[in-house]
Amino acid sequence: MSTRRRNGAATSETGGRQRQRWLPWAFLAPTILGMGLFTLVPIVASVVLAFFRWDIISAPSFVGFDNFAEVVQDPTVRVSFLNTILFVVVAVALQLGLALALAIMVQEKLPAWLRVFFRSAFFFPLILSAASVSIFMRYLFNEQFGVVNWLLSFVGVPAVPWLTTPAGSAAVVILVYVWQNFGFSFLLFIGGLASIPTETYEAASIDGATGWRKHLHVTLPLLSPTTLVASVMAIINALQVFDQPYVLTRGGPGDATRTAVMVIFESAFQRLEFGQASAIGVILTLIIMAITAAQFRLSKRFVFYQ
Amino acid sequence: MAESNGKLREISRRTALGALGAGIVGATVASWPRLTGMDIPGRGDNSLSIAILGTAADAAARQRVIDAFAKVHPDIKVKVQAIQAADWKDFFTKILTMVAAGTPPDVVYVATEGAQLFAEKLAHPLDEYLRRDAADMKEYFADVHPSLVEAFMYKGSLFQLPIDWNAANIYYNTSALQQAGLERPADNWTQVDFRNTLAAMRKAKPQDFTPYYWTNRLFGGVVPWLYANDTSFLKESKSTGGEWLWDSFYAQDPSRALRSGGYQWLEPNADDPRVYESFDYLRGLVKDGLGVRPEEGGGNSLVGLFASNRIGMTPAGGYWVEGLHEAGMKEDGFDVQFFPRWRTQRHQFGTAGYAIMKTAKDKDAAWEWLKFASSLEAMRLVFPTPNTTPARRSMVNEQLYAGRGPKHWKVFYDTLDKFPTTGPIPAPPQQAAVETALMKNVSLAVSGDENQLKQALASMQRDLEIALRRQA
Repeated sequence: MSTRRRNGAATSETGGRQRQRWLPWAFLAPTILGMGLFTLVPIVASVVLAFFRWDIISAPSFVGFDNFAEVVQDPTVRVSFLNTILFVVVAVALQLGLALALAIMVQEKLPAWLRVFFRSAFFFPLILSAASVSIFMRYLFNEQFGVVNWLLSFVGVPAVPWLTTPAGSAAVVILVYVWQNFGFSFLLFIGGLASIPTETYEAASIDGATGWRKHLHVTLPLLSPTTLVASVMAIINALQVFDQPYVLTRGGPGDATRTAVMVIFESAFQRLEFGQASAIGVILTLIIMAITAAQFRLSKRFVFYQ
Repeated sequence: MAESNGKLREISRRTALGALGAGIVGATVASWPRLTGMDIPGRGDNSLSIAILGTAADAAARQRVIDAFAKVHPDIKVKVQAIQAADWKDFFTKILTMVAAGTPPDVVYVATEGAQLFAEKLAHPLDEYLRRDAADMKEYFADVHPSLVEAFMYKGSLFQLPIDWNAANIYYNTSALQQAGLERPADNWTQVDFRNTLAAMRKAKPQDFTPYYWTNRLFGGVVPWLYANDTSFLKESKSTGGEWLWDSFYAQDPSRALRSGGYQWLEPNADDPRVYESFDYLRGLVKDGLGVRPEEGGGNSLVGLFASNRIGMTPAGGYWVEGLHEAGMKEDGFDVQFFPRWRTQRHQFGTAGYAIMKTAKDKDAAWEWLKFASSLEAMRLVFPTPNTTPARRSMVNEQLYAGRGPKHWKVFYDTLDKFPTTGPIPAPPQQAAVETALMKNVSLAVSGDENQLKQALASMQRDLEIALRRQA
């Protein structure tokens, strides 16, 4: 009797443990399934496709590393990667700098209700469609009829060829991208600033730190974990920039604003070279992975946890 | 009590999971037609599915033609699927995606830009049907200029019947011309006259006004200037064959000797001195503030700017008339003239028509649609307003342009009649790559000094070589 009870208890316990084991998996299953189907499978398919020549219509043919060799030799691909790196350097620096400066200003100088307003206002562009924003910006920055040049004319500035010169178009693409994306970093910094204990600032004040010194020696070091997250996300996003240059300038003039993802799109969906597009995608992925790994490695030196 | 609560908890969890499962199953069942693509027009039944570039409203506008077709062919069900796309290139990409997904339409409306891509890979030639129904088709060909038909010939076979088309003519603002103290340009005006006209317009209206506005694209960008200067950025040649069509339908046409088995663009030509000369001319217009640096993309915003009298001249086709009318421009507020003469007065045009896909379920039914769609009855239903130029000469008449303008609407069809060498948009099967190679170098070529122009053309030559080397 006691044995049966023990067995029963054991069985019930085992059943409970089993249930406990599969239950989390049951809840995770849709996500795992979704990730597998819509993320892992395409990644693997893309890597495999990089070794084939395929135009959608005909059957794929194995070409080994030919696609990689061709894209590495293609001057347009090389320029697009260089553009992307330059874009990342400038856009991310501006995005993080602007977000940090505004976050400090909003958090410290403004009353609570204005803080809420600015948080919403700065985040708002992020929820807009990048393509719609870029179409709108095309009109604003039109050399002849755009509002920007019209406003500049009041202060005597002659019409600037924003979208038809390499420097002008690069500047507009960066400006539009930063305007639309800095709100996310801004919110991260707001969160990071809120988590810094006020006692630390009080202690710094007692030690004689004021104004910029306080930010340099307290805010920035204690904000470094947030900065790491913000910079990793900003860099990954910026490396994949597509919408703004595609809609604003179609990559021109020349190749001035052509980015790596644009070249992937053009290879795949305009020239029907899915193998080459995959090869470029693989190279870009490796670059993103390398940069992210380097960031985390370097973070050991620059990130301070409380 | 605790046991009871435990059971309750267990039951509610089970119930919740069951409900979730039922919900997933229910949602899957409800969305099954979407998941499997069964809700795509023409799938799951024997309907002839026809893809056009446009919106759902454009598809609905075709309903009158479908109804008329149903009266003639009650046994053939037709469904039109409008595919929204930014441009033709984008539209073709979406069709190719449908092909890859195993859900290709039976018939596709294809413009010159994609004619050779479809002919090479996707479309079924119409030769056998045209031979069979030659008697029925004589009236159509008698009404359609052979240049349009030749644009759809590929390696000796015909793949589409032209339905509408547009040449790059020059639209001008009549009041801007009058303010400049000028009369309507002569039919045979030259590129020098054109420049002088721009300069006079600039002098008369210096503020907030652009004498020449043009966009950087394959149609109406730099190409008409190259054609007028008897050159192009690709070497143009013609393939043999096609006699079966020309001898059957155009034997008496004065331009019969010019006709071929279709155009070919096999080599780049950006290093031709005449290409340099044409680009240098445009560079001069930009440098002297007579023309804008061309922006990449379409010309949608241009209609509004032109209608508000802020643009003097621009190249465009007959499709602009309805746009200007809707933008509020009076019929005498604008007019059209031929593109200026240089070494030749050859124009550029683009045309469009239906192509039968190789994968069409019922090619005979598809042919009946093509035949009907090219009939006078169907084309009158499709083109009640001048939002394009109908391929049939008899439809380009006073009635079509009444109340809308322009005064010299005859220019549209005369472009073909008076200049029979007028040629299609250069669009080999690798058109997408070729277009990218052209567009990316144009704005650099016309926006800097002579060195920059030379570098841009060298870069274009190299890009075109790569583009043409690639498989279509």
